[in-house]
Amino acid sequence: MTSDQTAPRRPGNRRPRDPFQRSATGFVAPGVILVAVLLYLPLLWTAFLSLTEYNGLGDPEWVGFANYVEMLDDPDFLGSVLNTLLWVAGTLLVPVGIGLGVALLTWNLKGGTWLRLPFLIPYALSGIGVGVIWSFILSGDGALDQALAAFGAGDTPRWLVDAPLNTVVMILATAWQGVGVNALLFTIGLQSIPKEPLEAARVDGANGLRLFRSILWPMLRPLTAVVVGLSIVASLKTFDIVQGMTKGGPGRASETLALTMYKETFVNSEYGLGSAIAVFLTAVTLAASVLYLRQQLSSKHGV
Amino acid sequence: MSRIIRTTVLAVLGVLWLLPVYLLLVNAAKAPETFTSKESWLPTDFSLFANIAEAVRLSGLAESAASTLLYAVVSPAIAVVVGAAAGFAIVALRLRHGFAWFVAIFGGTVFPLQMILLPLFDAYSRVGLFDSRLGMVVVYTAISIPFSAFVMRNFFTGIAHSVFEAAVLDGATAWRIFARVYLPMASSALVAVFILQATFIWNDFLLGLVLSQSDTVRPIVTSLAGMQSTYGGAQMSTVLAGGLLVSLPTVVLFLFTQKFFARGLALGQY
Repeated sequence: MTSDQTAPRRPGNRRPRDPFQRSATGFVAPGVILVAVLLYLPLLWTAFLSLTEYNGLGDPEWVGFANYVEMLDDPDFLGSVLNTLLWVAGTLLVPVGIGLGVALLTWNLKGGTWLRLPFLIPYALSGIGVGVIWSFILSGDGALDQALAAFGAGDTPRWLVDAPLNTVVMILATAWQGVGVNALLFTIGLQSIPKEPLEAARVDGANGLRLFRSILWPMLRPLTAVVVGLSIVASLKTFDIVQGMTKGGPGRASETLALTMYKETFVNSEYGLGSAIAVFLTAVTLAASVLYLRQQLSSKHGV
Repeated sequence: MSRIIRTTVLAVLGVLWLLPVYLLLVNAAKAPETFTSKESWLPTDFSLFANIAEAVRLSGLAESAASTLLYAVVSPAIAVVVGAAAGFAIVALRLRHGFAWFVAIFGGTVFPLQMILLPLFDAYSRVGLFDSRLGMVVVYTAISIPFSAFVMRNFFTGIAHSVFEAAVLDGATAWRIFARVYLPMASSALVAVFILQATFIWNDFLLGLVLSQSDTVRPIVTSLAGMQSTYGGAQMSTVLAGGLLVSLPTVVLFLFTQKFFARGLALGQY
């Protein structure tokens, strides 16, 4: 494989003879072609459209960075950025935090698998399914208001109308769904921690918070980086649940970047502006992805 | 913390977590005449099946369900094999610049869908794939490939290369080694990826929203969203029953295949 000296039949060709290179190309081709045509080509086209004025009729007209200027000048876009940041922070705080909590509580606990089950049930729901359930619970005089009234709370806020409260309750609805999978991942992480250092620490009298801080947390670090990275990326893309519960409203008060892009493009037919927002969202997502991709792509993680 | 406190905390939290499920079941079972948005906590009657039938009738959910089942089975099935083939080429056949090709395929999954929606919509409209089952299968297949290539490459990395060399000495062709040796060895990983992707596709909303229109092609979650905005006010119990029907397959699949899920998640480091 390393030297060409044994293959004198093809002078000038540096490549070693490898009978399988041809078939290798054939095996990788379907994946590469599908991904190139359906993902990369559209991606490049969106990047191009973001520099044009276009509404689907006629030809795109080159306008340089005008769409980006318009985007950054728009107070609704800035509101959308702030909401998206709220989603990122909230998703880290609540589902990841509670997920870790549940994993730690069920760790080495008799019946832990069963106690984890309630958290896992909502995991496989669609965002729209979660939205249907929670819109119903949070509606005016709905299930939550009735429960609060039973405890004597008369004046409740309009959960899905008052901003930024509506974004917060939608984050909590998403947390209801997401805790289970994070708990499952942290559980896998905890189970893979070697027993010896734990026993040693226990013998030395480490317990509770101390055990967590000095042994568990450092050992969970690589997994936590992945979970945190994935949560950030997923929350940046938040669309389904908001579209299902408030449609970004009232007005545009609860829009996320993904929703603003959708509205500008498919409702207002502002293709150029919508594409600029898509490019912006992609840039932010890619920056966040670096967090966990470094972890994922490092060669140590071949399972 | 003592065992009893831990169990109690978890049990209380668990009950809290199940309350929305309880509310869904109780209210989806109320006949439209007895349903009131002001009394949600107590069951009144059991009209769940009538409500489900009505939901199916109102929004063409039966046709949606059949199409969605097709998408959720065919697309991930193709994607796992295509992804496995790519992983096989890179790891076993030692494709030249294999890592670069791997990054190129995997890179298809890191950007948001928003970045490809409009050109897909535009191109699909031009070539007649808009609102077609074929178009949906193709797009779901393409977006499932990066993840399956990622997992399968990781999996094949764990197989000693001598396995491949031995098969070559026996005179097997690359295709035969792939189909008869590598795929069977990877069956549990293939199933894990398949289940994850099938769930993802069943739950998709956005691609269905942008690339389809008719009841027959539209994926079921997109239909549910449409039903919610049309009937959410007047026939809430019907919408809840529809939501239950749409959600049941993935929830049941997940609960029964938890092990595979965990495995898929661990393989994908995700």
